[in-house]
Amino acid sequence: MNEVLLIAKKEIQIALRKKLIAALAIVIIGLLSIALYTGYVAYNQQQTIIEQAKQENRTEWLGQGDKHPHIAAHYGTFVFKPKTILSLFDFGLDTYTGTSVYLEAHYQHEFMFRPAQDHSSMIRFGELSAAMVFQILIPLLIIFLAFTAFTEERENGTLKLLISQGVSYSSIIKGKIIAYVSILFAIVIPFFVIAFILSTVITDSGSIPDVGLRVLFLLIVYAVYLSIFVAFSVWVSMQSSTGRNALLTLLTCWILFTIIIPKTTANFGESFYPLPSMKIYREAIQKDIRNGLDGKNPKIAREQQLKKEYLQHYNVDSIHKLPLNFEGIRMQAGEDYGNKVYDVHWERLIDIFNHQNRISSLSSFITPYLAIRNVSMGLAATDLNTSIHFQKVTENYRRELIRKMNLDMAQNSKYGEFYEYKADKNLWKTVKDFRYTTMSAYEILRQYLIELLSLCCWGLVIFFLLNYSSHKKKPVL
Amino acid sequence: MSKVTITLLRYEWIAFTRNTFQIVMLGCTFLLGLYSIYYGQSEIKVQRDTIQDVMEIEKTEFHQYQASFKEELASVEQKKKLEIASDPAYAWHRHGYHAILHPHDYAALAIGQCDLHPYYYRLTGMSLHYQLFENEIANPVKLYVGNFDLSFVLIYLFPLLIIAFCYGLYSGEKENGVLPLLYIQTVNIRRIIIVRLVLYFFLITGLALLISMIGLTTSGNIMTSENSLAALFWILGVIIYCAFWFAVLFFIVSLKMNSSFTAITAAGVWLLFLIIIPAVLNVWVTTRYPLDSTSLAEITRRTSLENEEDKNEAREVIYEFLAHNPHLQGSDSLIHNNTLAKAYAALTSLKDMHSKKDVDHYNNQVYQRNRWISDFHWVNPAVNMQSIFIHIAKTDLNTFHQFHTSIESFHRNISDFYFQKLFWDKPIQREDYSRLPSFKIKTDEVKWSTLILLGIVKISIATILFFGIGFIIMKKKKI
Repeated sequence: MNEVLLIAKKEIQIALRKKLIAALAIVIIGLLSIALYTGYVAYNQQQTIIEQAKQENRTEWLGQGDKHPHIAAHYGTFVFKPKTILSLFDFGLDTYTGTSVYLEAHYQHEFMFRPAQDHSSMIRFGELSAAMVFQILIPLLIIFLAFTAFTEERENGTLKLLISQGVSYSSIIKGKIIAYVSILFAIVIPFFVIAFILSTVITDSGSIPDVGLRVLFLLIVYAVYLSIFVAFSVWVSMQSSTGRNALLTLLTCWILFTIIIPKTTANFGESFYPLPSMKIYREAIQKDIRNGLDGKNPKIAREQQLKKEYLQHYNVDSIHKLPLNFEGIRMQAGEDYGNKVYDVHWERLIDIFNHQNRISSLSSFITPYLAIRNVSMGLAATDLNTSIHFQKVTENYRRELIRKMNLDMAQNSKYGEFYEYKADKNLWKTVKDFRYTTMSAYEILRQYLIELLSLCCWGLVIFFLLNYSSHKKKPVL
Repeated sequence: MSKVTITLLRYEWIAFTRNTFQIVMLGCTFLLGLYSIYYGQSEIKVQRDTIQDVMEIEKTEFHQYQASFKEELASVEQKKKLEIASDPAYAWHRHGYHAILHPHDYAALAIGQCDLHPYYYRLTGMSLHYQLFENEIANPVKLYVGNFDLSFVLIYLFPLLIIAFCYGLYSGEKENGVLPLLYIQTVNIRRIIIVRLVLYFFLITGLALLISMIGLTTSGNIMTSENSLAALFWILGVIIYCAFWFAVLFFIVSLKMNSSFTAITAAGVWLLFLIIIPAVLNVWVTTRYPLDSTSLAEITRRTSLENEEDKNEAREVIYEFLAHNPHLQGSDSLIHNNTLAKAYAALTSLKDMHSKKDVDHYNNQVYQRNRWISDFHWVNPAVNMQSIFIHIAKTDLNTFHQFHTSIESFHRNISDFYFQKLFWDKPIQREDYSRLPSFKIKTDEVKWSTLILLGIVKISIATILFFGIGFIIMKKKKI
């Protein structure tokens, strides 16, 4: 063990003497600071805007005045996607998912205003976030740090000296890995200290209930990811004859892992599982509402059936004699059927998304970057699953709101009358203010089992390769 | 060309043909280029197919309206159809027109922002803003990752190819022990490096041009007036961008570092131009020009009169509307007919008018933000090149802004067409269907070519700068 620490100590000393490593470490710290600062400012700005809009929207809903519940259902309300505190660390898909949605009767509006739409094409080059630094730039630092791990010893002839003194390959590998991991820790620990202080200062919207647990998971997965890169770089260095070869191999892998494979797999996903256009998607929903999901149960027939059922149930011969306004019942039944149709189509759409993204998930066995990217977004609650969960919650809120309006109309107004009945603030108040809480950390991690498994596999394979190669190498070169 | 240059080129060519790794790299890049063209074309085909479907839907809708004039009004449904076709009180908010932004032939080569913005809208006479902000279906993960189109291959991968070919031009000779032999020759080392760089420039730029030509000729007819200038700009852009990266490499090589350091520096510059500078600028611009889209959300709300049964309120709204529309003012004597329908039409029109200020303010903020960003194109040649490519392919933000501006005027024409009938109490007749409003996009071709040329000039200046500095350093710096 002592020799392992000695090797680690020597490696750290050498790295500290290298100007390049010091310069890169400063760049990384600088970028992390910028990412943290801008992340914090953007979070604060957006959170303030959203909170304000939310309050104004609530005041508008409550202060809309006395009106017929169905007019109120069309007046509707808006829901704004809250920024989660962890989006400060990983922006994830926030720039590409809509930020607000209009909720009204009969119609499921799509989310509007994707922030990326207000940027020039430069936005497609990516945004600097701490997650980007950890996922893309620190692995590059690791490569620059570790590509000479064995090649330099070999080129200088010190490897022979070490082996001749009875030091095993396994000790050299462990020593080097410990050294590089320690250097990395020294670089990123100030970031975590500042991030921790910030997280205690910032008031969160409360949409993430288990921030602590998520941060812990993030720490673990990032530690695993970066360790994989360290071990992989050391292994490549061990297998390479010269430093130049090791560097070229590692840089090629880095570009494949972080740039080419992620883009190609996402493109494959879209080519294999094409999405419908909004127009065709909407037309299909309207057609199914008109003709019935099976195509044999048109809207008129459904309404007549409903009327018959109500007349039978209350044992009367005219809807005028019903103890409630049949118009409200009819509207709610229409709403329920519309929701049923929407769910069928929406599930189909989400299924296509999932199929498209499954290719990227499976590709995390080829590149660990995809694994960490997806898990990190998930834990930061800026991923597609959280976005879909948020859409479901808003849609349920819409349904509840409309149901309350329709049922109030059914219970308190008369058939054939419309403007004669007006509901007031007491009804508006029964619709609770919208609050969103994300899925729990466990629930979200369950969605990323493939990615977690791939990270474990990467760790095991690298461990095996290092072990195998260290035993396979001849003691005397 | 001197004999020495020919000899140098000949031997460099022999060295290249013997290097299997380099040939494989060129082959892989060529295949990736072909894939990117295929991918881009399939993406645009999906858009074109959707546009075809959408146009078909519109055609069928209006065909039904026209046919309803001829039909026997036997059933309730037929009567209703005619009512929608002929009564402006229904027609103004039922008849759907499509404003379509047809993708440019070369959009397949630089998809740009066209997967992010809707490229068609169905418009009725209802509030424009109620209809304008709906997004096209897209997988956010895919939007985040971006497109593997030809512009990506040229902007991201070709610089890497140039780095891989050129980083060892000087250090390789030094490490192989050939350098002292070169120094004792009559030809100076700078000339040797430049000649070798020129060979690789022709080789790699040639490959980029070959892929581009395949892309340009398979994506559209290169000879049409709309495509020929665009194709010329594309080719010019490819040559200048490759030249820029060769100049950067020449500058790095001139620093005469060992091969690992040269490779690290070149990779660092690539990282700086393609990842770090754009990523930092993106977050900077977001915090410097924060946009509040929640203010626009409110205007998408479907509003109605406060008290629909209140005739006086309805009249007030109509009078306010007529005051802004002099050509309809004489119709105030007909206000008692169809009052509610007129009031609703007036209300939506007034709402659009009042919201316009907010929308313009928001768009102006977007404009300011992106103008600020474009000032950084000087230090950002990769982003600049991307911007040039998508300008050429008309998939840039500017094109979508022009599309939106044209939609505004199209929507005014649609509303006016129906409001003329509605407020003057005239039915829509069969002959009116031959005079329906149609959509035309306004473009500014002069501004288009000026922006492209300006971008190319910026990259050219950076190229000359890097090459010039490299040229001086190469001579001065000792081994």
